[in-house]
Amino acid sequence: MPQSLDAAHPVPPPAPAAAMLKALFRRSEIPLLISLLVVIAFFSIASDTFLTTRNIANVLGQSALAMTAGIGVAIVFISGEVDVSVGSLVAAVAIPLIVVMNATESLFLGIAAALALGLVVGAVNGYLSAYLGINSLIVTLGTLFILRGGVYLYTGQTAIPDEAMLESFFQIGNGRLLGLLPYPALIAFVLLLAFAYVMRHRPFGRQVYAVGGNPEVARLAGYSVKRVKFACFIISGLLATVAGIMLASRLGSAVHVAGLGFEFQVVAAVVLGGVSLSGGIGSLFGMALGVLILSFLSNGLGMLALATEWQLVVTGGIIIAAVAFDEFKRRRI
Amino acid sequence: MHAELVQERGGAHTGAAIEMHGIGKRFPGVIALEEVDLVLARGKVHALMGENGAGKSTLIKIMAGVYGRDAGSINIGGREVALRNPREALAEGIKVVFQEIALISEFTVAENIFLERHPVGRAGSIDWKKIRAESAALFERIGFDVDPAARTGDLPVSQQQMVEIARALAHEARIVVMDEPTSSLTPNEVALLFKVIRRLTDLGIAVLYVTHKLDEVFEIADTVTVLRDGRHISTRPIGEHTHDTLIQDMIGRRIDNLFPRSRGHAKGDIALSVKGVSTDAKLDDVSFEVRAGEVLGFFGLMGAGRTELAKAIVGFDPIRAGTIEVAGRPLKPHDTRTGAGLGIGLLTEDRKGEGLMLELSVQQNMSLAALGAFSRAGFVDETREKAAVQGFVDRFRVRTPSLNQLIKNLSGGNQQKVLLARWLMRGLKVIVVDEPTRGIDVGAKSEIFALLDRLANEGLAVVMMTSEMPELLGLSDRIAVMAEGRITAVFDRDAATQENILNAAIA
Repeated sequence: MPQSLDAAHPVPPPAPAAAMLKALFRRSEIPLLISLLVVIAFFSIASDTFLTTRNIANVLGQSALAMTAGIGVAIVFISGEVDVSVGSLVAAVAIPLIVVMNATESLFLGIAAALALGLVVGAVNGYLSAYLGINSLIVTLGTLFILRGGVYLYTGQTAIPDEAMLESFFQIGNGRLLGLLPYPALIAFVLLLAFAYVMRHRPFGRQVYAVGGNPEVARLAGYSVKRVKFACFIISGLLATVAGIMLASRLGSAVHVAGLGFEFQVVAAVVLGGVSLSGGIGSLFGMALGVLILSFLSNGLGMLALATEWQLVVTGGIIIAAVAFDEFKRRRI
Repeated sequence: MHAELVQERGGAHTGAAIEMHGIGKRFPGVIALEEVDLVLARGKVHALMGENGAGKSTLIKIMAGVYGRDAGSINIGGREVALRNPREALAEGIKVVFQEIALISEFTVAENIFLERHPVGRAGSIDWKKIRAESAALFERIGFDVDPAARTGDLPVSQQQMVEIARALAHEARIVVMDEPTSSLTPNEVALLFKVIRRLTDLGIAVLYVTHKLDEVFEIADTVTVLRDGRHISTRPIGEHTHDTLIQDMIGRRIDNLFPRSRGHAKGDIALSVKGVSTDAKLDDVSFEVRAGEVLGFFGLMGAGRTELAKAIVGFDPIRAGTIEVAGRPLKPHDTRTGAGLGIGLLTEDRKGEGLMLELSVQQNMSLAALGAFSRAGFVDETREKAAVQGFVDRFRVRTPSLNQLIKNLSGGNQQKVLLARWLMRGLKVIVVDEPTRGIDVGAKSEIFALLDRLANEGLAVVMMTSEMPELLGLSDRIAVMAEGRITAVFDRDAATQENILNAAIA
């Protein structure tokens, strides 16, 4: 490397096109975007009902839950921790939501009650993981079981129907913008943009990356590693609550088996989206692309009448292949 | 207590930037610092010197808020400060540039410059434009030619180090501490660093420069403080020092002959021959030979490459060039299996990380590498295993209530004996020991020492990496001194003195 005391041009020369291309490819979003387009192109050719506005809008609506919860899970991953409790949390928050709405006929109070539960769960996960230093995989696996058990106990293994029947509540999960784009997709998209902005352009977002990238360096830079991680768990709890509210609206009740296996779906999408399990690496747009790839894949394979069993096999193979690709790319560059 | 001295030499920016008095710090079983005073003057460069383990690192970690202090007071601007964590230290204007890179490798260089406080515009968004522009302007000012938009992890270590140093300028630091800042810099970069330091002092910033390189101290420092064994030895203007007085202060006492050794090991055939070994990381054309029954001691300061050499010659780390032969048979690089097969083994400096299975028993730890010898058809013959382990426990006087005791419950000295036995059980020709008495108390030290001496007498070739002078001078038949990945001098035991060893290490 040239290095001189009287260097007259410390401003770098403009990067040549090849370097720019390389830099572009290093961002994991570009290969993901290409993969998504390949998936869409493949099914458009293979099936004539796939590429219709109605079907695309439906898939976007279906992917909204995983995307909303995925934002929070991805943020926790980036901070260097893990959150798998979201699968039970989406089911659990429906109980205060429906029960309070049934009692008060107020959507606002119902949502407030649901968010309160999400906040408490996030705080418990965060306190045990960040402040007490217990492995977050174990902590959130624990809360995953506890919440599911709690839901079974409270509901007596059955669903609690929505008796308030508020139109506004129905619209959250079932309404469509201009009769086309499902509201959940809109909500997920707005949240995605908001949090992507936070992660890129607010000091807090950068602190999350720094804490996940190298906690010791972050500490020396004056960050409170524990507080940042704690905040990430809170965010994850609240976003899973939003997903749970949309799910409850779609189901019209608090269903005890809602969201079973949802945590795996979310973690798979987050990892597929290039978010590193070891922290500090990944983006929310990558996560969103991961969700979309898996959603379109499952929708398209369904249209080709591939059995669900085989859909699972294919999806699993693709996740491993994608993460392996990411890993090799990272090693080579 | 030396404030008056420092102030006499002051110019326009006189006055103490920070005063530390009676600083004490204990770790379990060790007194790291006791009654240490350090006063830094504004606009001056104050060098902090001492041998490995003198307490330099502990002192600057206290300044950085990484460690709390057990005793003493720290005053900044006439006000006592607590420095409970790094944030408080930064708030007091103390910026420490650690030897290990403290940058986020995924971030751009520019963002790392502003890591401690991202500048924000209205509405609280990060002002990226300002970050880029100010980084570029900063680099231009100090003549540091690096792209602020580059990903930090892509830069070579020396440039990352320079980014660290440039970072000190970007903040309103009043006290800048640099810990061995030149350890990975090229001569050009060192010149650049000194330019940065002069700029810092022109701004009235107090610089604490921690190093063991004498030449640098004479070039850049105004005042020198020497620590030894956690105590304050001297603080003097650089003009009152010569190389000799400085080394004298650092070494101090004569070596007490704590480790008497049998006179002259009988030398046999060449057991280990290393020719022209270089690695990507550190080593540069290292060659030496060790004979059976000989102890070759390697001395070097922190970062000289001793541990790297130890790992390379047993086949643990890959080498780029050169050959390694054990008793005339070549060792394939990066292959510990053939290393062990050829009869060369490493007693690691990192007992807990690379040596012991903490949750296993004494027996399991000791027989680990030799299980094949006790096995028949893939099953371990436990009677033979037990007999062999018991034999070594008796011979080495390992103090353990039983062979089934968990190894983590043994003292450091006894753990070390078990690890030594693990290798000898396989039948070794060459043992490489890296800091064999680190973390071991004095009594056990001389026991390990006597053990190595006895093994050499029995015909084992011993390569010993150490940073402890008494150990080095006490046991070695020959002494090789390393600096920056090379062997800078080789002394016969009788020709070696502390002074000429340290001189070769600092070269």
